[in-house]
This record gives sequence, structure tokens and C-alpha cells, in this order.
Amino acid sequence: MQEFFEQILREKKLSCAIFDHDLVLQDWSKFLHQYCSIRIANKKIHTIWQVFPELVGMEEVVESILKQQTKKHDIEKINKYTATGKLRYYTLTLLPLADPRTGYIQLVCLIADTTTETAYEQEIQQQKYEILMLQSNLAKYGNHSSIGILGNSEKIIHVREFIKRLANVKNTTVLLQGKSGTGKNLVARAIHETSLTADGPFVEINCASIPATLLESEIFGYEKGAFTNALNSKNGLLEIADGGTFFLDEIGELPLSLQSKFLSFLEYKKFRRLGSTQENTVNVRIIAATNKDLKKAVENDEFREDLFYRLNVVATFLPDLHELGDDVIILAEHFINVYAYDFRKKIRGLTPSAREKLMAYSWPGNVRELRNVIERAIIFADGDRLDDKDLLLQEISPKPASMPGDISAIPDSGLSIAEMEKRFFFNAIRKAKGNQTKAAKLLGLSLDKFRYRMKKYNLDIKNSDGVETDIK
Amino acid sequence: MKDVVTLSKKVCMLGAFGVGKSSLVRKYVYNIFKEDYLTTIGVQIYQKSVTLKNKANQVGKSINMILWDMAHIEKFDKTIKTQILGASGAVLVFDLSRMQTFNELEEHAKRFLEVNPNSKLVFAANKIDLVDNNKLKMEQFLHLSEQYNTECLVTSAKTGHNVEKMFSVLASLL
Repeated sequence: MQEFFEQILREKKLSCAIFDHDLVLQDWSKFLHQYCSIRIANKKIHTIWQVFPELVGMEEVVESILKQQTKKHDIEKINKYTATGKLRYYTLTLLPLADPRTGYIQLVCLIADTTTETAYEQEIQQQKYEILMLQSNLAKYGNHSSIGILGNSEKIIHVREFIKRLANVKNTTVLLQGKSGTGKNLVARAIHETSLTADGPFVEINCASIPATLLESEIFGYEKGAFTNALNSKNGLLEIADGGTFFLDEIGELPLSLQSKFLSFLEYKKFRRLGSTQENTVNVRIIAATNKDLKKAVENDEFREDLFYRLNVVATFLPDLHELGDDVIILAEHFINVYAYDFRKKIRGLTPSAREKLMAYSWPGNVRELRNVIERAIIFADGDRLDDKDLLLQEISPKPASMPGDISAIPDSGLSIAEMEKRFFFNAIRKAKGNQTKAAKLLGLSLDKFRYRMKKYNLDIKNSDGVETDIK
Repeated sequence: MKDVVTLSKKVCMLGAFGVGKSSLVRKYVYNIFKEDYLTTIGVQIYQKSVTLKNKANQVGKSINMILWDMAHIEKFDKTIKTQILGASGAVLVFDLSRMQTFNELEEHAKRFLEVNPNSKLVFAANKIDLVDNNKLKMEQFLHLSEQYNTECLVTSAKTGHNVEKMFSVLASLL
């Protein structure tokens, strides 16, 4: 092909190949090899089907072009890896062309490189389909119940009922209490998503994670010049949450100095930004959560009583995982599905011994701990079901409610040091299975000292039931 | 001894996004599998020859399959019709872990046969590695394959399960 013609083609990111009436390659541009499936050699005969196998099946179209019944035929967005491993996108156009010497009709294959443009389209489509994939996975694994709270125990049914009841109640303040890992955040989101303001934003703040000095400006916002470095005005989270839900996690950590301002907002739904004299009004639902005993915090002067009662209008306690019975297994199987999918593992459920192990454990870290245990197990497990050896638990600790000898459990009536010591003795005897020497060793005492104290506390080594009754 | 006849046939891979069409083709042609999901734009062309034996277990014919790995079809417009034109067969793929992808298959099969009335189909129930075999309800897949007088094979591009077989089944129908 003539050099000037090559230059024009290259300038326009085009390549071309010309085939005679018998569909044998006659002439071609220099960069044709980037788009065809074979190495083109001068003295070899190459048919159109070898050069462009993508035309296989289009014999009728090719014939129609050679007969000039079809003026043009485009195949868009073909992509192929080149010999150097680079992906190229192109449009292949078939055209009839009369040979100036013989007058025979030839077939021109024009290749327009669209790699750059199509690469952008690829990026956009990639993002779109990744989102769609995630959405379909979420629909599958994220919401086993309508509000995403799994379980069939009475306590979980109560939580679901609580959420449903709030769905039609506008803007009532809600207080969620429960230990760490019991799902306060999940319940807050469920309340938001089932509420009348579900289309509005869900804004959350963890009061313990932000320094007390910054908390006020984060929640209420500030005006320009309100303090050093306040170079511009800033909306507070309350304003951002307008029309939706504002979730304050660990409300028990809200500094006393800020509690009165927050109470005032709860009462009148009005507030002032830091450094402003103007009152702002927002329409938000407040959900507060804590793992602290707020009543006790009130008694200890750590939390304002009036704020506690203002928050405590609609309140619920989220149960500990060990209180939920078989729900542990339902949740575990849910997490197995989620993580097996995430890590592309074909693990489907638990062996009987794994179930037993999960049911026997006290779950001090609640659902969060269960989720972490399952995630780890899925990563390292090899079988098609999780076995007890796959589940790495901290220790099989006794369930607090059922074990009167538990040292950490302090009854509401209080506990003296003597009683505490008595409990230590009881546990040591139990752990040593009645062996006094071993029990003494466990407590770091000589056998004589151990016996002296046993007598002092009137503990009978032979009758463990008696001991248990004694310390209740 | 007779020369083995080699026929070139165009085969299209059809199905919803993310069902594993490209993964199946790559597993078949190059024996590779990548976990990453990369959306196909337009059509990616691959070739693979398959030799078929006759009833006497002798080499009967060789088929040079031109595999058109197609992007997810949102609309059967002119561009798509141009792309699928002249195909002798199609592999219709769905994802066993996302059963909503099965619902699109019948529409794909119908539209494909409108353009290529004499072509052959095979259904691939892909990603068996992600689901529990025991919980599979094959009746609905079998119903669809019976309707189109073909086979529905459970496949996994990841493990290679039934991948070779699926393409061989289609090649034997061409």
C-alpha cells in the first residue's frame, strides 16, 4: 500500500485489507496484524476467513457486498487480544470496491480502532454492573427478614415488633440499650429504613470516638469565626440529617456540658450553631444507643436525669446473643452464606459438633464476635461444612445467668469481699474436681492455709451442691 | 483413509451480566480462570478446534469454533442482531447463585432463534461451585432444555466442571 495512504489511515486510526473476488487477501495496510488472527506473509495465500474469523457465518453478507446488493456492513465493538497481549477494540466495516484495472468488484475490510473510546465505556459499564451485582447479592444475603433482623426467638421477635410499631410513628426519640455487639446500629438502621422518613438521610455519630471539644461543632455546626480556625461556616450533623434520622451511638459518653444543649434541642427541635445567634429548626428522628447503664450513670452524676427521661420515652433492651438460644445457629448460617460467597468457598452449614460448640459458648462479644468467628473459620476451613475445630473461640466460658459461682457477676444487692473470696474458693474446688491440693495450688495457697479458709467459710469439699447452695 | 473435514462455525455466548460467559470461554480455550469480574463490551472473539468422533469411535469431523463472547444484552437492537447474525449455535448461560439470571434466558433463546432459525442451543447452569448441589431444583432447567430440544449442563468455570463437555455437546449438534 502506498506510503501516503498509510499515513492517512494511521492518522485516522484505521487499517484496511483488500480481498479479491475469490476472497483472497490482495493488499493490506501496515498495522493490519494488530487486528487479525494470523501472521500475514507476502508470498502466502490468506483467505478472508483466516484473516477475519469473525466473518465466519456471514457468507451471505459477504456475497451480497461483492454483488453490490449491500453497500456496507458494520460489526461494532469487536475486541481481541493482540499478539503482545494488548486488548484492542474496533469496528469492522465491509465495503465493495471496483478494481480499477480489471473492473472486478473487490471486498474492502476497513478497521476503525475504537480502543480509547470503548475503554471509557468499559469503565462505566464495569461500575454499573458491579453495583448491580452487589445489589443482587445484598438482596440475597442482606435481608433475610423484611427488616434485616434475623432470628426466631421470643426476644428477637420482640425487637422486630418494636421496629414495626415505630414505622408509622413520626419522629419519636428512641433509646436502644444493649451490650456491645448486640446490633444497636443495625436496629437503628432498620427503624430508619422502615419509617416514614426512610427516603431522608441516615446520619450517625459515635459520641465516644470524637473528642469532647469537637463534639458540639460536629453535631450543631458552627459559624465562620466561631473559634480559631473556623474559617468558614459548617453545617452540623443535625442539619445534614434534616428530613431523616440522626443516630447517636454511645450517648452515655456525651459530655455533661453538651447534654443540656442536646436536651434543649430534643424539647424544642431548635438549636443554634456555635457562634450564631440565629435559631435553626430541623425535622429529624433521634435514635440514641448506649451499652452503659444510663440509670446508674444518672445516680453517679455522669448523665443528666432530665435528658435520660427525655430519651427514655421509647426504649428497648437488645438481648445478648447467649439469651437467644437457637438463633445463634440461624445467625451463624447466615454469616456462613455471606462469607462463603465473599471468599468464593463452597461451605454450606455446620456439622453437629460445630453447632454444639456454638450453642455452648457464652458469646461475650455478642453477634459481632459470632460474625468474626465465622469469617475466620470460612477463610481457613477446607471442608464443605464448618466443623468445631474450625471455630476458634476464646474459651468455653460458663453462661453468666446460669452459673451462680461466676465471680464477675455481682448481684443487685451487692457483694462483700468475703463473699467474693468464698466464690473464688468454690470455683477452685470445682476446677480441681474436689482435689484440695490442686485447688490450693490454683489459688497460690499452702494446703494448710487453704484448709483453714475452707473451714472459715464453712465450705464442704465433699458436697459441691452444698457449696453451690451456700454461696447463692 | 479419508481426510478429516474441518468446518468453521460461529457460536455465541449469551446470558445476563456476571453469569460467567467470559470465564467459561477462557476456561475452555486457555484453561484459565480469574476471580475478578471484568465486564465485556461488545464482543470478544476466540477460536478453538474440537475433533468429534463418529459412531465407530473414529475421527469424524473437526469443528473450528469461532466463539463470540458477547456483552450482556440489554436490548436486541440492530447492533446485536448484526453481531449474532450467521451463528450456528449459542451457549445460554445463567448463574446458579443468582437465579434471577435464569429468567432472562428464554427471551435470549427466542430472540437468537429469530435471527438464526436453524441454529442449535445448549444451556449452561454455571457457578455450581457456589451452591449446594443437593438444594438444586433441576426441573425448571430441564423444562427449558426440553422445550428447545437440547441439554442443560451444570458447569463451573472455576473448577472446569462440565466445561469441555458442554462445548463438545454443542459442537456435536452443529
